[in-house]
Amino acid sequence: MIILKAMSIDLNNISDSSLQYISSYLQRFMPFTIEDVKGLIQYCEIRKFDKRIEIVKEGEIDNYLNMVLKGLVRKFVKVKGKETILQLATEGHVIHSEISYLTRTPSQVILETLEPTTMVSINHKKMEEALASFPKGERLGRLIMSGMFVKKDERRYWLLSKSTRQRFIDYLDRNPHMLQRVPQKYLASYLNITSETFSRFKHLIRETTSNEIVNFPDK
Amino acid sequence: METDKRFIQFLNKFVSISLEEYNQFLAPYTQLRKFGKRETVLKEGEIENHINFILSGLVRKFYKKEKEEINTQISFEDHIIHSQESFHSRKPSEYTIETIEPTVMLSMTYDDLERVYAGSHKMEHLGRVIITAAMVIKDNWQMQIVKHTPRERFIKFINKNPELLQRVPQKYLATFLNIKPETFSRFKHLLREPSRY
Repeated sequence: MIILKAMSIDLNNISDSSLQYISSYLQRFMPFTIEDVKGLIQYCEIRKFDKRIEIVKEGEIDNYLNMVLKGLVRKFVKVKGKETILQLATEGHVIHSEISYLTRTPSQVILETLEPTTMVSINHKKMEEALASFPKGERLGRLIMSGMFVKKDERRYWLLSKSTRQRFIDYLDRNPHMLQRVPQKYLASYLNITSETFSRFKHLIRETTSNEIVNFPDK
Repeated sequence: METDKRFIQFLNKFVSISLEEYNQFLAPYTQLRKFGKRETVLKEGEIENHINFILSGLVRKFYKKEKEEINTQISFEDHIIHSQESFHSRKPSEYTIETIEPTVMLSMTYDDLERVYAGSHKMEHLGRVIITAAMVIKDNWQMQIVKHTPRERFIKFINKNPELLQRVPQKYLATFLNIKPETFSRFKHLLREPSRY
């Protein structure tokens, strides 16, 4: 069953936590008053999807830049029948098919929800309008772009320079909840580790847990 | 000046900029930098302070994995090269930038670029468009690494940049394309037999 609801945003209806995600994301780039945030939100839409829905299909032009408010979305590419996961986005993360969105060309990647997902989205056209009309829009756009650039580069460097074992430990240290939320084969693909190695590494997590119990008997 | 014209031509691919606008907003902040062959432009651990437009020469960017140098960019005339991540984040660079041939570049510092942005809305717009384009190129490149076999990468790249086979040491090209040096040598027969592709 497909559930897709897109609606313009009623500010009275948007939850505080959603406003908080959007606001704290924007604050990373420059100071924003709550009025600024509310002004920008007028250009956005709320979109809701059931789980296992392809939001962007291969070959489609991606018209939306999305921030996940609730749920989980994966971005992957299919090569000769094999899926490679490029991104796993949870609450507060931004996800879209970058090349397609920015260059208006068919997407090479697929975006799919893994859980029922609510996102705040901005259409490509509306984004241009918002950046043109918002006083510091051009600057905001530039800073968001450089920020994404840095993130992408950091991930690339991390994938290239860290060992599989280190990648596994680093990632699950920072995102322990993902082991419950995401099928293992997806996590393995995202970390560029084979499924077998991934299973083998799982004892590393159990060891950490038992150490904690030893160190913090009160917990 | 001829060098300015080349740079203006490059910028015009993104946003149309007149000579007057260039002279007013950009020219005062550019500087010409010259490097010999195999000279370090930026060392790993330093903060990248420049964005560079190559007027002549050949430059590579690499990081070290154990003892090995992995090349992530090889750039020549009319290309931009710098350690973007360090430049934007003001953190030490993971990458080293080194010339392969004697090189002349038109450079601008981070602080001066901020002055350019502050001085004109149009320049800020130009900045966003260029950064966006750079991100698309990077993303496309990563996609190629994921989607194509070493053989496909080799053929595509050498077809597009045939002169680099003469200008760049093979071991650099091999790590850049993420192909083993032995495989790279083996692929060279593909070039002598054009009918195969």
